[in-house]
Amino acid sequence: MKMLRAIAIVALLGIAAYVGYRAFVPPIPSGATKMLTVYFVKPETEALASYSVSLNPKTTDIDGVAFYATSQVIAGPPAEISAIRFPAGTVARSVRVTGATATVDLGGNIAASPDGSFAESGQFKSLVWTLTGMTGISAVQVTVDGAKVPTLPGGHFEIDEPLSRKSF
Amino acid sequence: MLGRKGTALIVFAALLAPSAISAATPASTATASFWYAGTRLVFERPQLRDGALAVASDDLGLGRFLTKLGATLAYRPSQNDVVVNGGDKRVVTFRIGDVHYTVDGVSQVASFAPYVSGGIAYVPFLDLSRALSVDAIDDDTTTVLQPQLSALDVRPESRVTVVTLRGASPLRFKRLSESASDRVSLAFLGIGSTLEHDRAATGPGLKNVSVIEGGTPKNPTTTVNFDAVPGSTHVLVPTDSANTIAIAFAAAGVALGGTAIPADGASTIAIAPLVVRETRVAAIAPGLAPAPISGSVRGGTPTALTLPVATVTSLETAESNDGLGVRLGIAGDVTYEWHRLADNRWYVDLKPATLAIAAREQPLQNDAVVSLRIKSFVGPLDRMPTVRVAMTLASPRAVTIVPQSGGMSLAVDRLDDLSATRMGAGELTGGRLIASIVPLPTPPPAPDETPAPDPAWKFAPTPPAGGNGKLIVIDPGHGGSDIGAAHNGLAEASLNLEISKRLRSLLIARGWQVRLTRDGDSDVFGVNASAHDELQARDDVANAANARMFISVHTNSFTSSSLNGTTTYYFNPDSYALASAVHARLASALPTKDDGIRKENFYVIHHAKMPAILVETAFLSNLADAALLRTESFLQSVAVSIADGVRDFATSQSTVSSHGAMVDGQ
Repeated sequence: MKMLRAIAIVALLGIAAYVGYRAFVPPIPSGATKMLTVYFVKPETEALASYSVSLNPKTTDIDGVAFYATSQVIAGPPAEISAIRFPAGTVARSVRVTGATATVDLGGNIAASPDGSFAESGQFKSLVWTLTGMTGISAVQVTVDGAKVPTLPGGHFEIDEPLSRKSF
Repeated sequence: MLGRKGTALIVFAALLAPSAISAATPASTATASFWYAGTRLVFERPQLRDGALAVASDDLGLGRFLTKLGATLAYRPSQNDVVVNGGDKRVVTFRIGDVHYTVDGVSQVASFAPYVSGGIAYVPFLDLSRALSVDAIDDDTTTVLQPQLSALDVRPESRVTVVTLRGASPLRFKRLSESASDRVSLAFLGIGSTLEHDRAATGPGLKNVSVIEGGTPKNPTTTVNFDAVPGSTHVLVPTDSANTIAIAFAAAGVALGGTAIPADGASTIAIAPLVVRETRVAAIAPGLAPAPISGSVRGGTPTALTLPVATVTSLETAESNDGLGVRLGIAGDVTYEWHRLADNRWYVDLKPATLAIAAREQPLQNDAVVSLRIKSFVGPLDRMPTVRVAMTLASPRAVTIVPQSGGMSLAVDRLDDLSATRMGAGELTGGRLIASIVPLPTPPPAPDETPAPDPAWKFAPTPPAGGNGKLIVIDPGHGGSDIGAAHNGLAEASLNLEISKRLRSLLIARGWQVRLTRDGDSDVFGVNASAHDELQARDDVANAANARMFISVHTNSFTSSSLNGTTTYYFNPDSYALASAVHARLASALPTKDDGIRKENFYVIHHAKMPAILVETAFLSNLADAALLRTESFLQSVAVSIADGVRDFATSQSTVSSHGAMVDGQ
């Protein structure tokens, strides 16, 4: 009897812990757990293109998926594909989803490698299209090394307000 | 400092009989008066229209006012307009029944639409006054009409810097500095100023120009200080208008021949042509003090290393399928100014230039040109040696001036010129066209009328209410601690600055006031400033001055060298027309790929409060584009294209306004 009571208590605690966890960390929507669409911009035509990547099954929270998606955008498509890419050495420091806005903190060479305006808009367009392709995210706030900035250093494209697909 | 009147009514209002004040029906009333140039200016038959002062085109008071400015007025019933030619060559055109008027082709909105009463045209006086750079200023109970310095043009050339001052009225000055001083201070009497107070000059012989207003509303004085480079020389330069004074500064080692600046002077004094000579400095033995060099030729042997006056060495004609080509061999640098007359005559004057071949007139067996003439003379106004090439055309054929190495070619097309453009000017230096100035098209005069004086191209439109309609801010992207992109041995910041300076010269020559956000390799806000501070500082230059346009000049780059082309960006909807006008010129004139017009949220064009564009001229990361960016001709073409686009934009605004007036009038 004592054994059954202990098992029941452990089960209840487990259920409570799971409910509590889900209350603070919403699950990623079903259907987006297996594959992720990553967008990039073709430099020749500035047209959007996309490819799919499989999602790490152990990554189950939306922050984690958004971080994974951001990392994929920064990595870009396979090298043989022509694409507007983030400067080599750019890193995603963190991604947090609050409400419908994903705050992406970039670092590394993003702040040290000013490229032309052409590249800037393409870089952010691929990032925004990829993240807003996830259910529940409609805007992306970019920060650099933890701070909100009007543009990249030496850059042009304005990033001090959340970007959406309408920004492009 | 001084209270300036906008469209407010003057003491005139108090003189009107209340029953006469009617917006719908103008009525003749008592006189209106102003203080102007030491006397009281009285209008005899003023009227009140929409709360503003209307003056008859034949009013003797208006005639006195215009005469003192060196301006003339013509009411042309057949053209339904009133045309005022300013003493500084600006042209103000009012159309009867249209609230919009133009100043050198740029549309403005008047207090009311000019109208005809009793066969006499009535014009909005304060709008006309302001268009002629005469400001109405409150002075206790009197309203003073105060002429203004309307433009200050600092133009660096290869060996000299020429500063041109233009006033609303003929200029008189007193020299406040000693002739040997490195600072030349001229106090201009009876004239005020709203010019920029301080302006760095980077050309030979001159460091800075500052403007200080003083005096009283009735007796204003504007002092202009020219801080010259030690050892430099300076002389007056002949001008084509009594309202204009020009001074040339040359660095040590260059001797200037001409008229020294007198203690008391005016724009009407006789001024000798400018002569520029280099001085050969004697070799200095080690350990010896260098020989002094001054404005004269001490320390060196004067040698005319470069001809100060160009020589026209040949005149040849050649027929082609396109028409007739007239090739002029020219040794030296010249400015040129061409005119198309109503009777199909066309001529170009080259200055300063003499003729090394015989003057002649020859008939041509050509279906485009009837006869061709060439002669030399001394300009009656500027006393400059001048060579004139004139043609009698079979019809209003299009004539294009094509600069060539060792001269220029006049290409007479088989087709007629439908633009009715009647005048243009430019400069030919070293076989390169460094300024190409074509005025706005003007309608040809009616056959039964004497042609009006040529429309001016040199002077800027007056500002619309609340803004400086003359000012264009050019932003050379990056600079200082931020070199921008760098590829193929090219640095973006320096390219942007070079193009911007060329653009500035062109726009100033066309009458605009121009301010660069940076004039050298420097940051605008400060070294290593944040992106926000640096970019906002550039917008602040334009926003604080309430500029009419903001143009940011950039050079693009990409990690792959495959991308190339020219793109024009805008963000705010009211900037699209400017982007469209400029990009059309860029796309048609440049050999680069046309990457189109794009709307992007770039900081500097988002936060500028006026039509604002960002031009990416070419990709310096692309080998072909980089090769172009290394050539002066490409940089100049970019500048000319942007300047042409600015003109098209200003013209389109005028057109749009005219259409608006028609709609409003329905």
